[in-house]
Amino acid sequence: MNSPQTKNMIELTKVSKSFALPAGSFQALKEINLTIPSGQLVAITGKSGSGKSTLLNMIAGIDKPTDGLVLVNGVQVANLSESALATWRGKNIGVVFQFFQLLPTLTILENVMLPMDFCNSYPKNTRRERALSLLELVNIREQADKLPSTLSGGQQQRVAIARALANDPPIIIADEPTGNLDSQTATSIFELFASLTKSGKTVIIVTHEKDFSAYFEKVIAIADGVILN
Amino acid sequence: MSTRFYKVLRDLSSDSAKSLMLILSIALGIFGIGTILGSYSVIQREMKDNYMGTVPASATIEVDSAISKEIIDSIKSIPGIAEAERNASVVARMKVGEKWYPLLLFVIDDFENKRTNKYERISGVTNPELGSILVERTAYGMMQAKEGDELLIKTAHGNPQKVKLAGTVHDAGLAPAWQEQSGYGYVSLLTLHSLGETQGFDQLRILVSEHNDSETHIQECAQKAAQLLKSNGYEVHEIQVPPPGKHPHQGQMTTVMRIFIVFSFLILILGSILVATSISTLMVKQIRQIGVMKTIGANSTQIATLYFLMIVMVSTMALLVAVPLSRMAASSFTNQLAVLLNLEIRNSLIPNWVPALQTAASILIPLLITSLPIVRGSRISVKAALDNTGVNPNSVNKNQWVIKLSRISFLSEVTRLSIRNVFRQQARLLMTLGLLAAGGAMFMTAMNVAEAWNENLKLIYVQRLYDLEVRLNEPIDTDSIVAKLKKLDGVARVEAWNYTSTSFSKNSEFEITRTYPDKGHGSFSMQAVPIGTTVFNPSVVEGTWLQSAMAREVVLNQSSRGYLQIGDSVTLTIDGKPTAWRVIGFTVDVGSPALAYVSFDAFSEVTKLRKKSKMLRIGYFDRSKQSAYAKNKEVESLLEKEQAGINATIPVWLLHNAIAAHMKVLVNSLLAMAVLMALVGTLGLMSTMSMNILERTREIGMMRAIGATPATINKLIIMEGMFIGTFSLIIAFALSLALSSYMGNKIGHLAFRTPLSLTISFAGMGIWIAIILVGSYIATWYPAKRANRITTREALAYE
Repeated sequence: MNSPQTKNMIELTKVSKSFALPAGSFQALKEINLTIPSGQLVAITGKSGSGKSTLLNMIAGIDKPTDGLVLVNGVQVANLSESALATWRGKNIGVVFQFFQLLPTLTILENVMLPMDFCNSYPKNTRRERALSLLELVNIREQADKLPSTLSGGQQQRVAIARALANDPPIIIADEPTGNLDSQTATSIFELFASLTKSGKTVIIVTHEKDFSAYFEKVIAIADGVILN
Repeated sequence: MSTRFYKVLRDLSSDSAKSLMLILSIALGIFGIGTILGSYSVIQREMKDNYMGTVPASATIEVDSAISKEIIDSIKSIPGIAEAERNASVVARMKVGEKWYPLLLFVIDDFENKRTNKYERISGVTNPELGSILVERTAYGMMQAKEGDELLIKTAHGNPQKVKLAGTVHDAGLAPAWQEQSGYGYVSLLTLHSLGETQGFDQLRILVSEHNDSETHIQECAQKAAQLLKSNGYEVHEIQVPPPGKHPHQGQMTTVMRIFIVFSFLILILGSILVATSISTLMVKQIRQIGVMKTIGANSTQIATLYFLMIVMVSTMALLVAVPLSRMAASSFTNQLAVLLNLEIRNSLIPNWVPALQTAASILIPLLITSLPIVRGSRISVKAALDNTGVNPNSVNKNQWVIKLSRISFLSEVTRLSIRNVFRQQARLLMTLGLLAAGGAMFMTAMNVAEAWNENLKLIYVQRLYDLEVRLNEPIDTDSIVAKLKKLDGVARVEAWNYTSTSFSKNSEFEITRTYPDKGHGSFSMQAVPIGTTVFNPSVVEGTWLQSAMAREVVLNQSSRGYLQIGDSVTLTIDGKPTAWRVIGFTVDVGSPALAYVSFDAFSEVTKLRKKSKMLRIGYFDRSKQSAYAKNKEVESLLEKEQAGINATIPVWLLHNAIAAHMKVLVNSLLAMAVLMALVGTLGLMSTMSMNILERTREIGMMRAIGATPATINKLIIMEGMFIGTFSLIIAFALSLALSSYMGNKIGHLAFRTPLSLTISFAGMGIWIAIILVGSYIATWYPAKRANRITTREALAYE
């Protein structure tokens, strides 16, 4: 279900974002220029409030820039309607959250099947098999019929990754995916992300964890809305 | 089945207590609608079938003397007249225990082959022999007798005699005997004569052959027949044309049912508001889930569909519960109404449009009401959903007055926080307030109207300062009788009046009324009142009461005034002859048919009765029913000794009972509605309050973390509930005033042809205040306890 591959999966040109706050305007991103080629594992680092989550939101189409151009997989994200954006995001971006954010009343398997249902990707009768094979990929297939609350944090994050992969998106983004996990579990999660790039996915991770810098092909450090390196 | 539908199912089943409550709140409304509409549709149909089954006469013509068989045949040959039959009806009296009650006797020409106003034979003989009568089935209760028993009866001119109750019939054209507080019997002319009456068949009933639903056409035909009678030497007193094809209680029934239908829909709307509040709370609780679903590819429409689907499921389950139950309730309600209307339900099938309407209403109304919160909730942007903290920063800033209100110096910090919390979720606050206010308003309205009804009924005793009305056969000189009556122990007031049936003289030759054959429904009489009467206390609403003894002035009551104005000249017939009067006032009478009041002296002059009178009104010092029983007996025996010739005696308590019986089912149903309202209202209160708190479990953890004691948190939450409850009370009270006056107007017009006075039921208000305060307390007590029980860490992690 991939859109045609471009050499640069993500291209940001002079992207600014400001928020109107009661105390006045706050500029979260200042004329950012950034390109991320496909198939890379990229880290975005920075302190709280530096603008890294805003940058991630720009790429995922969760937020729109005040100024500048965001091109993701050849699509100008800001031009999509809210509804088209939802479907586009479902098919092109897999999102992994810090707190996993699995739907509590659905089983593990159903959580993974849900994105295929929303985006109407893959024929109905193949979705279950696909979800099971994704759970196999993240090593959690035997838990398929359990509810998220019965799983440990690391297991839940594996499910979240399987869910992010459900529609086979070219891009996976993760906002501090290991922030809530112990270091051993975190290592296995990072290994999982690294293995995804081998199959051609672009993986962008917001993280504080310096220990895992070896996994990254590119580290984007950001401070006060500006990319440092 | 799509994966997303699993989510809907699981969300519903994961909190089964709340889901059950939602189902219940919709089901109550659907149940109400089904019960009312189900029985309404059956009763309407059966009422028409029953009534039309009796072949009600299109018109009845009353004449002065016995109608011969020959004249019947010539009337049948008039074009447009299909059938003619002679008949008579006499008001006699029957003795039940120690008391005399009115007994309406219908004198039948041919028992074997009755052509109009037929009845259905139930048991016993068909053709009662001399000295025996047939009895309408509902009259046995009044007679305290059964078929085969003997009953002591007395006609106006005869001596008390025993008759045998030889057979039983059902006459669907008559109201139940207990409602009219009278007996119904069917006799042959021979039996009537043996009872001391000499009259013959003085009524002619006709059936028109076409346009039998047109009042004008019927009047035309009836006038042709009357003309023929007149040319044969009969004097025509009155032509009675009751509303064609309409059961005497049809209009009353329709209005009552309409009011109930409105109430049922209000319950459903109330239930739907409750569901809307719950769903919007659920969406707030699931706002992060909505954000996540949108992140993984769901668009707003898909999200909205999920929640709409949830509503449809709740509605469907409500429907499955409510429809069968409502059919059972409808059938029992139908049977009660059938007793009330003296109907025989031959076909109790509820038409299919009733469940169809229930289905449509149970799906559409909740969908409509929940659509706003659902559409709004589903359109939230991903970022806003993921960042959500439960407080809308804009709304907090806008409510400066809330901040100011909460800054009043004597309030504690906790109170201030409670006040501000109340206004945090403004949309939900509005819905909660709306729900509670609507429930409260309807509850109080039902109680108010029930009380206003009782108050109005009491007016019967306020307006009528007499306790017994005696109607005499002939006008007599009553001076000596009045003097003797006044000497009786316990008698406070006695007056001699006059009365006659009357009608507004149209430009037609004959007097035409809308009276039904039972002589009560639709009648119009003139009463001649002594100036300065002490037995009647009229409620004059416009103009003045009668003041001049000799003036040709008339005061009309609400049932007779029509579109007349003060100062208008009217022509009223007395014994078929037109007489001219000037309208000087209008009264509102409780429990009277259409009446025209004129001066006794002026009436005497017009009728040349020379102070003779046909009616006595007697009031006692002790007006209680028990005392009146005994006094009435004394009065009656005195009158019999004086050979006054009593036609009928009507105790005021009997009238009071008759009217109360007419509308008892209405008042009881109103109270049942009030209970349903209270139920839905309490459910709504409990659910919204507890949802308000559940949603803030995390915040409560935070407050505990910074040092709030469980007692403080309890106080905070319970106070918040109390604030909302109190606000709703104020709105509910204001709403109930408007609603009560509307309903009082409707019901009053129905029963008395005048609005019920606006009455505030303090019991109703008290009960509702108690429900709200206790309900708020209980509704917030549990979540507060729960919030306090979980550890601070758990509370902070609560999603």
